[in-house]
Amino acid sequence: MKVRFLNQTVITLLIIFLCLGITQGSAQASPYAKYAGTTIVVNFPAHAFYDAATKLIPEFTKETGIKVEVDKVEYMRMRDKQSLEMAKPKGDYDLVSYVCMWKTEYVSKGLLTPLAPFFTNPALADPNYDPQDFVPAYLAISGLVGGKKGYMPGPTAALYAVPFGSETSIFAYRKDIFDKHGLKPPKTYDEMLKIARTIRQKEPNMYGLTSRGEAGHQVSAAWLFHLTPFGGEVFDDNWEPAFHKEPSLNALKALLEIVKTGPPGISTFGVGSMIDAFLLGNAVMYLDATSICSMVRNPSISKVQGKVAYALHPKAVKHSMETGGFGIGIPANSTKKEAAFLFMQWMTSKQADIKIAKLGGMPNRMSTLRNPELQKEFPEFPAILENLKYANPDWRPIIPEWPEISMQYLGTAIHEVITGKKTPEKGMNDIREPVRKIMEKAGYYSWGK
Amino acid sequence: MAKEKIVKALTPYFFIAPAVMVLGFTCLYPVVKGFELSFYEWNLGTPMASRKFVGWENFAWAWHDPAIFNSIQVTLIFTTFAVTAELLLGLALAFLLEKGMKGIAIFRTVFIIPIMIAPVVVGLIWRYLFDANYGLINYFVQLLGFQPKIWLGTPGLALPAIIVTDIWQWTPFMFILFLAGLQSLPRDPVEAAEIDGATNWQVIRLVKLPLLAPVIWVAIILRVIDAFRSLETMFIMTFGGPVRETEVLSLNIYKTAFLSQRLGLASVTAVFLLAFILLLSVAFLLIARPALAKK
Repeated sequence: MKVRFLNQTVITLLIIFLCLGITQGSAQASPYAKYAGTTIVVNFPAHAFYDAATKLIPEFTKETGIKVEVDKVEYMRMRDKQSLEMAKPKGDYDLVSYVCMWKTEYVSKGLLTPLAPFFTNPALADPNYDPQDFVPAYLAISGLVGGKKGYMPGPTAALYAVPFGSETSIFAYRKDIFDKHGLKPPKTYDEMLKIARTIRQKEPNMYGLTSRGEAGHQVSAAWLFHLTPFGGEVFDDNWEPAFHKEPSLNALKALLEIVKTGPPGISTFGVGSMIDAFLLGNAVMYLDATSICSMVRNPSISKVQGKVAYALHPKAVKHSMETGGFGIGIPANSTKKEAAFLFMQWMTSKQADIKIAKLGGMPNRMSTLRNPELQKEFPEFPAILENLKYANPDWRPIIPEWPEISMQYLGTAIHEVITGKKTPEKGMNDIREPVRKIMEKAGYYSWGK
Repeated sequence: MAKEKIVKALTPYFFIAPAVMVLGFTCLYPVVKGFELSFYEWNLGTPMASRKFVGWENFAWAWHDPAIFNSIQVTLIFTTFAVTAELLLGLALAFLLEKGMKGIAIFRTVFIIPIMIAPVVVGLIWRYLFDANYGLINYFVQLLGFQPKIWLGTPGLALPAIIVTDIWQWTPFMFILFLAGLQSLPRDPVEAAEIDGATNWQVIRLVKLPLLAPVIWVAIILRVIDAFRSLETMFIMTFGGPVRETEVLSLNIYKTAFLSQRLGLASVTAVFLLAFILLLSVAFLLIARPALAKK
């Protein structure tokens, strides 16, 4: 009797559990339910786009139950922290934002997870995600690794990140000052440099174009903005240095002229000081990333609201705009990859892109940029679309060795030039040998020509 | 009896053993590991198991690396000028304020403030003071009728600017050490000199300075060791620029380890820096000991 009673109890309990299981199963209709209560840690830069984007996180947590902890770091310091974190057997970060120029290095070291396994999982991939809608150049520059030259799209490329805070270059100018002196937005570099000289003559406390210029990455980036418009390149097709050749030197000479007619102290300017010089009214022109557009409108940092207009990045021998900014990917050593993917997908969805745009972040999707309602609110969107026609994913060689070459060699040589210690020719020729040595050691010349 | 003697002799070692072990693990272990690492090629972000033994290759590279020699030079110039100025100013201030004057307590507190501020904050304060566009220093330069300067971005100006910052922060340290030293000097020789009709200057030069010498040596060596290791101010104010003019050894190590991500090469420089500081520390102990013995 006793045994039978026990059996009955066991069976009843089993049935109850089964039923519970089934009801729970049907409750999992929400793809997020399984991960509710999970806390993921994300590493974001201190940057206008991310300031806007983080405002959306409470909404994400409310909708999904996934909690998000944000570790905000100065953007050039993220690489140190991420390299250390992601190389551990088990890291602290479940999602990282990185500057596009680090992607190949990260992937070559096996630090990022390929995204295909998530996009092939119907329980995780949102059918309405529409990755086609991302600005193609942004998706390529932030996420694709392993294609042509290792960092460009191509048959062998795979996706490791999606654009989040990606950007292209835009030319911004003080319309009020231009109108005052009857100046038109420059179409070429010559015109731009001429305007810079005119401003120095006619406006006593104003300067031409603001620019980055601090030794290392910043001054290297400043030169690279002008490099491809002048037809220059860092390496030729055989990975031989080409930064000492004429087109590249022309770009450097243009930078030298920009420094001479620009606000004082460019040789110390990081991104922050470069932007401040424009927002506080010292410089009348700006030629850098699109993130400036929302900053111009922000009264707490800008004195030039309503006085700025946008145009195409001028050309020297051709139009060629930078493509860069940030992408977000999932570290290979994260233990909460699925929840991180869901967060990534939610934050980069069409709806979120619009919301972030309204909060002051620059869009990553074509549908947002083309949205007529938003275009009325944000007059720079058509200008960005125009610039994107010439967006160049190959304006700098994002090989694994690039951060070292850019920060330690180009960034030193170019700084020697802009501070007057060396001529452009000597500065660039002096680093040919050491850069070639790095390339040789990495194996770029081992396949011959 | 003999056993008792041995136990007695061993007792102190027994008591200091835990401290020695903790120190050995926290100090010696990383140093040994760092030295070991200097024989390897290992990139940041790759597993330690994948590092490659390269023998003396890193040392050979360092020997031919102009950036490292530049950093040694920058560090030596920075240390020499900063510590000399701090020493002279500290001494002058200590002699001036030695005789108790009204409000000395306030003075001492005010003087101590720079030492208490985190070097990163000191770097930020002075970066804004030296700012080419909005800096207070350029404002005064213009008031005096001179051309404003790009202090932190012009070759030849940035290193002096950083030396000034260091002097501002560390002169008080010297001053306080010297003041304490002066106040604990024996009164008799000074009084004897005064009775013999020595002038104030003679008393300072012939009596007080020689008596103060051990303290001065200790202060100099402490500051030199500190100046050799300094990083934060340059990191914040110039990040080594213009070009590499303010790239001290610590900053060079940081850049090699984290920008170039060559941990082996960075270890070579770190080992060199450590060896130099070790030498200074030994000198410090040798000089400091007679001072302690006198007490």
